[in-house]
Amino acid sequence: MTDQAFASGVDAEVQEDLACALLSKHFGEFAAVDGVSFSIPRGAFFSILGPSGCGKTTLLRMLAGFQQPDSGDILIKGSSVLHTPPNKRPVNMVFQHLALFPTMSVAQNIAYGLKRKGVPKREHASLIDEVLAKVQLPGYGDKRIDQLSGGQKQRVAIARCLVLNPAVLLLDEPLGALDLKLREQMKIELKRLQREFNTTFVYITHDQSEAMVMSDQVAVMNKGRFEQVGTPQELYYQPKTAFVASFVGDSNQYAGTVQAQSGQVVTIVTEHGVRLLSYGSQPMPSGSPVTLFIRPEVMQISTSQPVTEQDNCLKVTILRMLFDGAHSQVQVETAERVVLTVALPQTADFQALEAGRSVYVSWQASQCLCFPVSPEPAEAAQ
Amino acid sequence: MSGEPGNVNRTQYRLGFWLLLAPIVLWLSLLIILPHIDMVLVSLRERIASRQYGFSLSNYTAFFTEPLYWNTFVRTAVMSVIATLLTLIIAFPVSFYIAKVLTGRPKIALFILCLIPFWVSELVRTYGWMILLRETGLISGALQWFGLADQPVEMLYNDVAIMVGLIYTSMLFMVVPLVTTLDSLDNSLIEAGYDLGGSSLHVMKSIVIPHAMPGIMSGCIVVFMLTLGNYLTPTLLGGKDSLWFTEQIYTQFITRFNWEQGAAFGILLLVLSSLIVWLGLKITKQSFTRVMS
Amino acid sequence: MRSFRQFKYLTVATAAAAAFSVSVQAETLRLLTWGGYAPQDVVEQFEKETGIEVKITLSNNEDMISKLRATRGSGFDLAQPSQDRIVSAQADFDIYKPMDMSKIETAQIIPSMLAATEKNTQFEGEVYGVPHVWGTSGLIVNRKAAGTIKDYTDLCDDSLSGSVSYRLKRPTLIGFAFALGEDPFAAYGDTEKYQAILDKVEKKLTECKPNVKAYWSGGDALLNLMRSGEVSAAMAWDAGGWKLNAENPDIAFVAPSSGALGWIDTFVLPRKTKAEEAAYKWINFVMQPEVAARITESAGNFTAAKGSDEFVNDTLKAQFKESFPQADLDNINWYPPVPAGLEEMEGKVLDRVKAAN
Repeated sequence: MTDQAFASGVDAEVQEDLACALLSKHFGEFAAVDGVSFSIPRGAFFSILGPSGCGKTTLLRMLAGFQQPDSGDILIKGSSVLHTPPNKRPVNMVFQHLALFPTMSVAQNIAYGLKRKGVPKREHASLIDEVLAKVQLPGYGDKRIDQLSGGQKQRVAIARCLVLNPAVLLLDEPLGALDLKLREQMKIELKRLQREFNTTFVYITHDQSEAMVMSDQVAVMNKGRFEQVGTPQELYYQPKTAFVASFVGDSNQYAGTVQAQSGQVVTIVTEHGVRLLSYGSQPMPSGSPVTLFIRPEVMQISTSQPVTEQDNCLKVTILRMLFDGAHSQVQVETAERVVLTVALPQTADFQALEAGRSVYVSWQASQCLCFPVSPEPAEAAQ
Repeated sequence: MSGEPGNVNRTQYRLGFWLLLAPIVLWLSLLIILPHIDMVLVSLRERIASRQYGFSLSNYTAFFTEPLYWNTFVRTAVMSVIATLLTLIIAFPVSFYIAKVLTGRPKIALFILCLIPFWVSELVRTYGWMILLRETGLISGALQWFGLADQPVEMLYNDVAIMVGLIYTSMLFMVVPLVTTLDSLDNSLIEAGYDLGGSSLHVMKSIVIPHAMPGIMSGCIVVFMLTLGNYLTPTLLGGKDSLWFTEQIYTQFITRFNWEQGAAFGILLLVLSSLIVWLGLKITKQSFTRVMS
Repeated sequence: MRSFRQFKYLTVATAAAAAFSVSVQAETLRLLTWGGYAPQDVVEQFEKETGIEVKITLSNNEDMISKLRATRGSGFDLAQPSQDRIVSAQADFDIYKPMDMSKIETAQIIPSMLAATEKNTQFEGEVYGVPHVWGTSGLIVNRKAAGTIKDYTDLCDDSLSGSVSYRLKRPTLIGFAFALGEDPFAAYGDTEKYQAILDKVEKKLTECKPNVKAYWSGGDALLNLMRSGEVSAAMAWDAGGWKLNAENPDIAFVAPSSGALGWIDTFVLPRKTKAEEAAYKWINFVMQPEVAARITESAGNFTAAKGSDEFVNDTLKAQFKESFPQADLDNINWYPPVPAGLEEMEGKVLDRVKAAN
């Protein structure tokens, strides 16, 4: 998928619904979007994931046409839309707070775009019924907006856009206002709708779980730049930067300095002289400071020292048990007073664990990654 | 004994409720309701001889049979409706600009600029217009100076001058409710309007105006009532042809000593203007409670 | 309970104090009068000599009657309506109190005026008015622009289109009636005849409307229109004309050939006057020749005080002489009392003139 997504050659252009080249937007001195390039194949669910203030909303508003980029280009189905006003762009947007027109009924909300598009009036009713059926709200046309629940409003907002068959549907964190249960349902629902309408979705969010569950491709954005673009799996297992490693999924972080590097394996020594082995994809001179990222689920926990050879093995003390059903975890403290969070396997062996007890945690070098520490991790990215 | 403190509390609570309500009840009954009842009673009297009055509807029939009074009222109402609509047309873009385009300091500055004329009394404002518009006034002088007119131009004492004065006087009462309702319009609704393919005209027509409708109506009601009940502006700027209904009421009360006729005109003004407002609400399908909340 | 009793005492004490302060301030004279009739220096001298405080409210004939009608004759201690408007107002609204002539120093007042006022303000055998200031309504003319104006109806001359002003009130109706050769005062008793005269006047005033720049209502507004040259001839009070004449010799007050309209403003006691003695003191005070002359200077009109002319400055005397040669003085039409009911007829005419196009 990655290669396909980045295959921005001339031959692949027809396959792309949306592409951006070196897009930048500055507000005074501040670079909200800083030289971003990407392209999205037809029918993909593409998410832009980043913390608030990373520039993802500005990027989306430039795609919709509400903001003009300082430099760079936006191509929709191969042609530049820089000089196309928002109401003429073949993209539609689901707003953060949905922006349904409260003075109109559900059907009128949907008909608004049809009228503007010049669809003959006699076709409206059937188109509206059809799209309402697709979002599973049949017969809701006459309802007022304030009669709908949060999830139903969500569907109407999507239906209102999709009825226009846009080349790209932009979604601006539309699930933010929903409660947790509903959000989980809507994730699946959105994915289903995207498949059903076969429309390219560009979805921005700060919630990594939303991005991971729904997306074909995720771009992790930080400080106006894309840190990494890839499938959810790639981002999770092969983060290319420290930022991605820490932002995507949960990670324990361990600080140390490089002692040696042979191939991919890096030997790290912590402040108190503990030696750890890790994978590192980029060359790191010995003596340089690094951060080690270890996911909670890769660490093995055992009451006695493992018999088999382990790359890393630490004797730790249990601080507290964090029971959460299948997601239960345990917090442990190393001899160096570093606190690590370890996933607790759902087996009877570990039910007896309690705070204060000494246990062992171990993991393989290939299961963790290290990145050089730099004052500006974003600058080091890509 | 055990029940008593509760009772005392309740009595005190009720007493407090009535004490709190007292000012508004007194205000309404003494200054609004009683005078109106008295007005109705006075309007139903007729002078038979000196110090002798009898019940009569003649003051009301006079309004409908004497074309002068009727015409004056119709003229006042029509002029007020036109003034209200013109005020709306002028105030809407200004309000939209204040509420949706400007932010921060310029927004407050422009809003205050709309407010400043109301720091002086209506009389002073009207005299200001007279200084501008009169034959020896500023505008006439400027026109002559620029060679656009070869003799003094009289711009006072006509319906246009009345209209200008009324619109100027009413502006704030339209701008404030409009800015308030437009401020409450989420920007994303406007953006959504564009995003779904609407042109500026469509967005205005199907999103902004429907949203602002309660503000438009409450502004229109206030402006219409103020204009209809205005006395100074039409009299001073209209001069010999002003013919405003309130002027007629004033004349009946003050210069004719005919309180009976004046009271009848007052009641008729109240009833007919309420009727016009009701009609306006019906036509635009707005409810009074929604407009006023 | 205790706090309530304290509250009661406090209330009683406050009420007592308030009552006391009212009785102390009882020596206040609330005067309802015209602009210029109670100049500041005269008021100060009166206050110094008598210790009575004078509170002045400026007004006009209709406003005085309306105010006193609304309060049923209270709120003021002394009023100054014109002598012709007293009887009808008293008949309809019972707002005045008869004057005790024994308390007036009648020797200070010109006898003919005193007698005329006594006659004109009698109602049910009682006298209500004492004359104070008299004057006339006539024409104020800018001789450069409208030198040909001799009578009220000349205001309707085509050459004066849009540069004429008069009031839309009864003096205009009366003046035009005289200029049209009628005698409205003689018809006061004959409603039908009076209506016929009014119809004639209405026709004339309607025809005359294009000539009118504005119907003036306040004296100052008219003076401004004349000063700026926007109006070149007007029907107005003599005092205004003389004031303008002093500023601009081209403008003069002219007694119309059909006769200026003479009015006398009087002193009248409102029915519920609270300072009757102070009112008499004020009347007797301002009727002293020297004080009356000061009022003449401030109001621009002469008073009914005997011998005050000697103290009036020469300019005003000269202006008076110029406007009123003996023949014109004899030709003045003095307003007789208005019978009740006439004003309603006049009102309808004025309404129609206003509405006419």
